Amino acid sequence: MNNTADVAGSEEFSGQKVRLYPVTRIQGRADIELSFTPDQEVRAVRFRALEKRGMEGLVTRLPVMRAPAVMSRVCGTCGPFHQLASCMAIEDALGVEVSAEAVWFRELTSWLNLTVSHLTTIMYHALPDFALPTSDAAVKNIAGIYMVDQEYVSRLSHALTSISEALFALVGNSLRPAVAVPGGVSTIPDEAALQSASELLKACDDDLRETMRLAEMLTRRESKMMEAESRLPGYYMCSAAGGRAALLGDEVAAGAFSGGNAITLDPEAFLAAIEERPVPWSYLVPLAVRGLEPAMVGPLARLNVGFGEDTPVADLECRRAVEQWGHPLSSEFFYMLALSLESIWAWEKARGLLSVGPPSGGKPCETVQPGAGQGVAILDSPRGILAHAVSIDEKGLVDSYHVMSPLQFNYLMINEHLTSLAERTVHGIDISDAEASRLQMAVRSFNPCVPCGTH
Amino acid sequence: MYIATVAFSACGGCENSLLSAGEPLVSLLSEHTVSFSSLLVDKRSVSPSDVVLASGCIRNSQEREVALEIARTSRKIVAVGTCAVYGGIGGLRMLEPAEEGEGSNGVLPELFEKALPLDSIMGVELFVPGCPPPSNLIMEALKSVLEGYTPLHFESTVCSDCTRRVARKKLKSVHGHPGPGVADNACLLNAGVLCMGPVTRGGCRAACPRAGTACLGCRGPSDAVLSSQLHSMHSDMVSVIARTSGAREDKVAQLLDPLREMMYLFTTADPVTRGRVKERVPGE
Repeated sequence: MNNTADVAGSEEFSGQKVRLYPVTRIQGRADIELSFTPDQEVRAVRFRALEKRGMEGLVTRLPVMRAPAVMSRVCGTCGPFHQLASCMAIEDALGVEVSAEAVWFRELTSWLNLTVSHLTTIMYHALPDFALPTSDAAVKNIAGIYMVDQEYVSRLSHALTSISEALFALVGNSLRPAVAVPGGVSTIPDEAALQSASELLKACDDDLRETMRLAEMLTRRESKMMEAESRLPGYYMCSAAGGRAALLGDEVAAGAFSGGNAITLDPEAFLAAIEERPVPWSYLVPLAVRGLEPAMVGPLARLNVGFGEDTPVADLECRRAVEQWGHPLSSEFFYMLALSLESIWAWEKARGLLSVGPPSGGKPCETVQPGAGQGVAILDSPRGILAHAVSIDEKGLVDSYHVMSPLQFNYLMINEHLTSLAERTVHGIDISDAEASRLQMAVRSFNPCVPCGTH
Repeated sequence: MYIATVAFSACGGCENSLLSAGEPLVSLLSEHTVSFSSLLVDKRSVSPSDVVLASGCIRNSQEREVALEIARTSRKIVAVGTCAVYGGIGGLRMLEPAEEGEGSNGVLPELFEKALPLDSIMGVELFVPGCPPPSNLIMEALKSVLEGYTPLHFESTVCSDCTRRVARKKLKSVHGHPGPGVADNACLLNAGVLCMGPVTRGGCRAACPRAGTACLGCRGPSDAVLSSQLHSMHSDMVSVIARTSGAREDKVAQLLDPLREMMYLFTTADPVTRGRVKERVPGE
């Protein structure tokens, strides 16, 4: 399980390192490297991304109109969000205004994709940590849960497949819907598809509520652990509209885990505050937001910013959580609660959009004439803030491309939190399974997606 | 039986496609033993397996080591997804020089210049191309290997599943994006969009053309394209467009020239298709 190596004499560390590889139940390949002082006390902990595909280089010099399809392959989970961010960046570069009808459909598919992503994460990655916290590694997984509680897994699975089928009814592909294109959307679903999607969403109402209840109960079970653990450091931040969390917002909201009111930044100020902090030991380039370091993006950040009254169930449940545990929710143990609350939030948003239907009068897709320009787009993906920036040459080819992904924003906080946690829970280089498991759970609470992070 | 999953250089789409199967997958896993899978279970080392679902291409030294270890200890390997089968979109990296210094600091795995399809370094029992392959195809492949039967083979093309109507129509230009103006039931290729449906393996229910966007060829070449050296995705596309537009093949080839690279978006790393794209790159 662990590889130990004497690295005395290295430039950065003296003492020993222990490597936990791979970090399990996450997207992508990564390890946790702990370095110890000669007295076997934890000195620092690093979460390291070990893969890279160079997507920004791949898309360079390709016709810009094909960039969104390529960039959707950055990530298998957040692919539709990368595709959308790419389209929005191109539209920004070329000065294209997208119709309300296209925005409606983009939002609808985004909410459904977020729900699918969260339910998948809950089912396969998060639930074993909460449902079987002290079990042996051999059974601490979804198959192990299935053997003791088949009904609950069936409920989760039913919700997941219902929403996937709703996406399929709308766009013909539940995993990588190709519907967002520069200028708008490639199609608008007909009345029958909208009706079918509405019915499928309605059918998973009970399953989603049960998931939320279970997440709340399991989170409450961890309350004593929360009291014993330190709070998350730094800040939370997400895309927002009107001070509330949003996927396609027009501002960035941020607040401190230590408390106090949230602030909002306009996108330009947010982008100007981003700073790259490359490290030689990971393919991932960490991003810091000056004045908001370290920062967390993703479900827990959005939960702390809060939902709106247009999603009454999620809003009520969010308020209940805050009444129970206070604001901000500043422990990693709220991770699964945040995922389940957001699943309800996104489901309500999607149902709301389906009930009003697409605005009429606009064109699904505007004409886009590729030419020179520079553009940027910021949105929230399931795992947090995502930004794409593109520069296009006069021939309509991609001149340069830059992706800023959730894991890059979370990276500094992950390492700070891991180090703080290991200082309290790891005792010497002979790391026990329980200690290793605790560190891995801490990583999972940030819902890291390594392919997104290193792209 | 012992089942494992592994992802090499990949986006995770194939793994997500597998996970989206939901309860049928969980039920299947609970009847067998997951020998290793960093996606699903907390076991960390590679151990002997009867079936390994492997996605992604080989892009660095660590991935190659793991792949060789798996090849040594496993009975049957299923290559899941176009990265595993053809090198996938990561194969485009072959057209780029490796970034200086990447993976050469002795701390991180060394990056290769080329993305390698799995069968270039290990024996593969079954190929399931797609970006990602539909969930049902992965599940079918897994069951077929576990139970020892031959899974459904999709000889047909994406066009066979597409409900859009083909018409004989003149073509002035070919571009990579539908934009506005393609009627719901009209063939995208007829409308001048580079849709790779006619030369791409079916089985995906024509998901992209149905949603109004062009097929990118993610399932790789169809059997017809692979049937002989006289065929390639490029030459067959030229023939199809010439037939439906009434234009001369050399004129069509000229129209397609700027989009040539797009035809091999997922298959550039594959030795056969790579040879075919290179022979048509002017100046090489």
